[in-house]
Formats: sequence, C-alpha cells, structure tokens
Amino acid sequence: MKKYFSFIVLSLLVIALIPGTLNAQTRKERKILYNSQYNYEIEPVGVGQDGTKVFKVWGVGKDVNEAIMKAKADAVAACIFKGLTGGAGSAPTPPIITEPYAEDKYADYFETFFAVGGKYLQYIAVTTDGDPSGQDRLKLKKGYKVAIYVQVMYDALRRQLEADNIARRLDKGF
Amino acid sequence: MKKISLLILVSFCTLAVFPQAKKPVIMVFPSDQYCISRGYSMTFDNQGLSQTLPDYKKALQTDPDLRLVITKMGQIMADRGFPLKDLEQEMKNIEQEGAEMAMLTSKSGAGIVESPIDRLKRTAKADIILDLDFTIKKSGPQTYISFNLKGLDAYSAKQVSGVAGAGQPSSAVAPEILLEEAVLSQMDSFNAGLMRHFEDMFANGREVKMLVRLWDSSGDDLETEYDVNGETVELITAIDHWLDDNCVSGRYNRSDATASMGRYEQVRIPLMKKDAKGIERAVDTRTFVTDLRTYLGKAPFNITSKVYQRGLGEAWLIIGEK
Repeated sequence: MKKYFSFIVLSLLVIALIPGTLNAQTRKERKILYNSQYNYEIEPVGVGQDGTKVFKVWGVGKDVNEAIMKAKADAVAACIFKGLTGGAGSAPTPPIITEPYAEDKYADYFETFFAVGGKYLQYIAVTTDGDPSGQDRLKLKKGYKVAIYVQVMYDALRRQLEADNIARRLDKGF
Repeated sequence: MKKISLLILVSFCTLAVFPQAKKPVIMVFPSDQYCISRGYSMTFDNQGLSQTLPDYKKALQTDPDLRLVITKMGQIMADRGFPLKDLEQEMKNIEQEGAEMAMLTSKSGAGIVESPIDRLKRTAKADIILDLDFTIKKSGPQTYISFNLKGLDAYSAKQVSGVAGAGQPSSAVAPEILLEEAVLSQMDSFNAGLMRHFEDMFANGREVKMLVRLWDSSGDDLETEYDVNGETVELITAIDHWLDDNCVSGRYNRSDATASMGRYEQVRIPLMKKDAKGIERAVDTRTFVTDLRTYLGKAPFNITSKVYQRGLGEAWLIIGEK
C-alpha cells in the first residue's frame, strides 16, 4: 500500500512540475517575441487624412516611456516592412518596401534611421504622448506594455525612402 | 565654368546610360455600369439591335461625386509620378482638334487630309484604363461607400491591379468625405498592384498583342512556303521562329491562325533595344513589329507589308502592300 502511495505522490509531483517547465519556456519565448523586429502589434482605427495612416500600436519596455518610444518606432517600421491590416473603414495598406529581406540588405541605413532620436520620429505626426492608462497600459512582470494612437506621415516616409533609393518609385524606369 | 561643363557632361552620360522605357498613359473612365445605371448613356439603333453606350461627357458634366473621386485619384497618382490623362479635357481637345482641322487651310486653299480611319482613331485613348465604379449606399440612418476600381491593360484586356470594398458606415459624416476616405484608403493597395505589374514588365518584357493579316491584293498567304536556311517552312512558321528569337525568353502565344490571319497574344517584347549606332532606344509594339516587317522584306521572303499601330501595346502587320 505504501508503495502505491509513493508512486501516486511521485506522479503528482512530476505532473505539477511539467507546467512550470512550460511556463519558463513561454517566458523565454515571450521575451524573444517582444524583442523581435518582426513583431508589430497594430490595430487600425480609421482612415487617415491625406497621406497619413492612423492606427493603434503596442510597445513593450522596461518603463512606460521606453514602451512608448518602442511603439513609435514599431509604427514606422510596420509601415515600411509589414504593411497595415485593414479595418475600421480603412483598406489594407501594403508595406512601402516589398523587396524581400530589405531590413537585412539595408541594415546600416535602418540602424541610423531607427537610432534613438533618429529620423523615424519625423514621420510620427500625432500621438497620445501622455502616459497611456486603463486597458492601454498593461503591467508586465518586468516592465510595461502600452498602446498609443499614432498618425504616421506615410506618403512623406515613402518619398524619403524613394529618394534614398531604399524603396522603388512607381515610375522608376519610365 | 569647368564645373558647369563637367556637370553637363555627367548629366548627359547619365541620360545616355539610363534610357527610359515608354511610359504608359493612364486614364480614369467611369465604368459602363456606373454610367448606364445613372442615366449617363446613349442608345442607338445598330442594324436593328438597340445598343446602349456610356455617355462620358454627360457623366463628367453632371456628376459632382464622380469629378471629386477622379480629382482625388489624379492627385494621388501625380504624387506617384503618373499624372493621369484627364478624360474630360481629352474629349474637349478632340472636339477642338476636329473643329480646327475642318477650318485649317493652306495659302493655296488646300485642306488637311483625314482618312476615315484617322477620324475613327480620334478618340480618348489610354494604355492603362482605370475602370471606376462606386455607390453611395444607405444602411438605416447610416451612409457608406462601396468602391470598385480596376486597372485594365487596354491591349491584353488583363486586370493588372484592382481594389474593391466598402467603407465604414457613418450617420454623421457627409457622403463627399466618405468618398474621399474611400479613395485615400484604397489607392495605396491599388498602386501596389500597379507596381507589381511594372516590376513584371521590367523583368519579363512588355506584354503586347500582334496581329498578322493580309490585304486582299496579296499574292501570298500565311501558308506560302519558303526555303529558310535550307529548311522549307510556311510563312506563319517563319514568323513564329522570328518571335522565338526576338521575344523576351521567347515568350509569346499564337492563339489563333488561318491561311489569312495570325493572332499573337502575350507577346513579351523587350522594353529597350540598341539601334544601329549602338544607342539604347525604347521599344513599343510598333517598333517591334516594324523589325518583323524589315525581316520579311528581305530574302527569301521579299514581302511588302504595312505596320498598323493600335496604341503602345498592339500593332498589326498587314501583308501584301503598304
């Protein structure tokens, strides 16, 4: 009887430990996910004024300010590399650069472009720069995940990338 | 002065090194459905059959929503380096041109020659047609816009880009603002489709259509046999071989042929070619088919033929005489 009891206790212990292991892996994965250059969390909120795109973008950082800055950079990066999903009356917007692996090909250019206080800030027209609150401000174990509403000067950004020979002009070759 | 001379030289070299392909003309046309459903149409008797055609002039003169959408699209396309040819202005130009041609005389009293085919060709033309259709719809107290825009290659009739969708319903915003939003929202996606079309064109050549026909005075037909490099081939096969050698990657499709007609579609012609002086020149269907005419004009064919152009992307070769 004692033998059976020990076996059951051991089995329960193993079962209890498995989720812990999974959780640790998930946290690690989550960290990679937050730092991924491809992970932009975006939600369209309407059709922007002439030449602009408006949407809600999430950013993660150690504090709220860092998360906001990350969200701003992600907003511009999403317009360049990923495009915007449609919704709330706006149609899907394709990325400005359609060339595969452009972020690697022009890595030096984008490193300067997205540097702290870099040129990318020129294309964020309006944001909710005050600290986000309520559902737009999530406390994580080590930091914050916040959402801000941005207006990206999409056409101006495209023109700049075309002028720098990073994006292809529609009339190139004609 | 030296600096200016150097600058001019560099600019000249740049132009010489990077010649430009022929730019397609883009024009917005309201769709037949848009015009006819709103009464912008004309009906006439065509040999006993009643035929209804869109009346673009009436549509552009009386529909402010249409004008608003076309203006907004024109503004966006001009920003992308493709100013649209304006349909309304083009129709006015054609009318004016006709009136001036009728009045114009030389000092000796001679008039300008205009054949029936010249008159027939005096219409508004574009290489890429933006076929536009939109509807202001109601859903209870709310208004929304249903928008449909197709980019059609005028020669291959292929849709090269397109967007369609409905905007967000609203009870507070004026329909004009909703229309503007529809254009702003859809045009980036539409231009991305157009960009894919141009990228394909630069990679694989311009896709055009070519027709080979015979004058009824022609002594030969397309089944006439010739000895070409020791091989006896029919004229249509010799034309196939020429296309094999001159199309980009030998890509073309002879979709139909008889003794008196050969129809070639999806013919991929190069955008540029070097002329006799070694200078790169832009190629259109006319220059491409003219090269074929030159080839057939030499031995063993010694054929006289005429090239008839139907825009940037279609030409006919008519065999027998000029």
